[in-house]
Amino acid sequence: MKNLKILLVDDEEEFVITLAERLELRGLQARAALNGEAALQMIEADTPEIVILDVMMPGIGGFEVLRRIKKQHPQLPVILLTGRGSEKEGIKGMQLGAFDYLMKPLNIEELIKKMQEAIESHP
Amino acid sequence: MNTCEDKEVAFFGKITAGITHELKNVLAIIRESSGLVGDIISISPEAIIKHQEKIQNSIVRIKDQIERGVNLTDRLNRFAHSTDETLSKIDLQETTEQLVTLAQRFARLKHVVLNTVPPDQETPPVTLVTRHVQIHMALFASLECCLTVMSAGGEINIGIRKLEGKNAVHMVCKGDLPVQSEFVRNICESENWPVLQEIIACLEGSAHLDETENGIVLRFPDEISR
Repeated sequence: MKNLKILLVDDEEEFVITLAERLELRGLQARAALNGEAALQMIEADTPEIVILDVMMPGIGGFEVLRRIKKQHPQLPVILLTGRGSEKEGIKGMQLGAFDYLMKPLNIEELIKKMQEAIESHP
Repeated sequence: MNTCEDKEVAFFGKITAGITHELKNVLAIIRESSGLVGDIISISPEAIIKHQEKIQNSIVRIKDQIERGVNLTDRLNRFAHSTDETLSKIDLQETTEQLVTLAQRFARLKHVVLNTVPPDQETPPVTLVTRHVQIHMALFASLECCLTVMSAGGEINIGIRKLEGKNAVHMVCKGDLPVQSEFVRNICESENWPVLQEIIACLEGSAHLDETENGIVLRFPDEISR
């Protein structure tokens, strides 16, 4: 998992910056996109190995970003971030092709474990 | 229970869900920021010096998010108290500003900015004796009508005034809008327009399109019948 290339997509800048710093302290490479359009551009320019994607974002929402990722990069695993009490969103995301979902506020160890599972299931 | 009271529950659900979603983001940032400090401390004493700036930034972030959380809970608390009395005397400017604050997240999701026009200092405040929650609902339904027809990058300017002797809230849409006839048609065909008409009828008021300025005008009586 060392040097795993991760793309974090969330419109809460403080959240993604801090999460990226924590992942980097653990030897992972994390970049951040603050909206769906930027995320799709970054994926085309330099495809990550995994995407962590917030569902609720202005502009192109998380589900539309997920659809487009799955169309262009079907093997790229995506883990959705939803709010607590939003299991329906998580289930909808998995039906659209997300590997799994986690609820905010996150537990970073759970996130890392989930990413490991996703990478192992998409060799 | 009349149809307006039926709709109050759904309205409360929508607004509460919006605020709690923001609160989750506040808590998520606080968790990551405090987690980052913990991560650095657990590496080594030298890491604390090496990453001093990260620790300081995390502390600032935590303080800012706590402020943000306090503001959000204040908003939610004020909103919750709008049900304290069935009929109450309200300041229409204050109520409108309150609702605009509550609706900011919905507007932000559509990349639209909401602005309240400051009141004219020489004009006395506009006060009504009315149903506070339903005034919020009417204002929100009106904003939803506007948001339906607007593209990203637009603005909605909201002002309060006396119009032909009636208390009026005037919402004007600015930005990349469809042509006037299409604007009118899109608003009237939106699912929120009949909802707005129902709510405004419960308040003994009226809602009309301002075709000249691409907006909506809501009129309310000074006091509704009990």
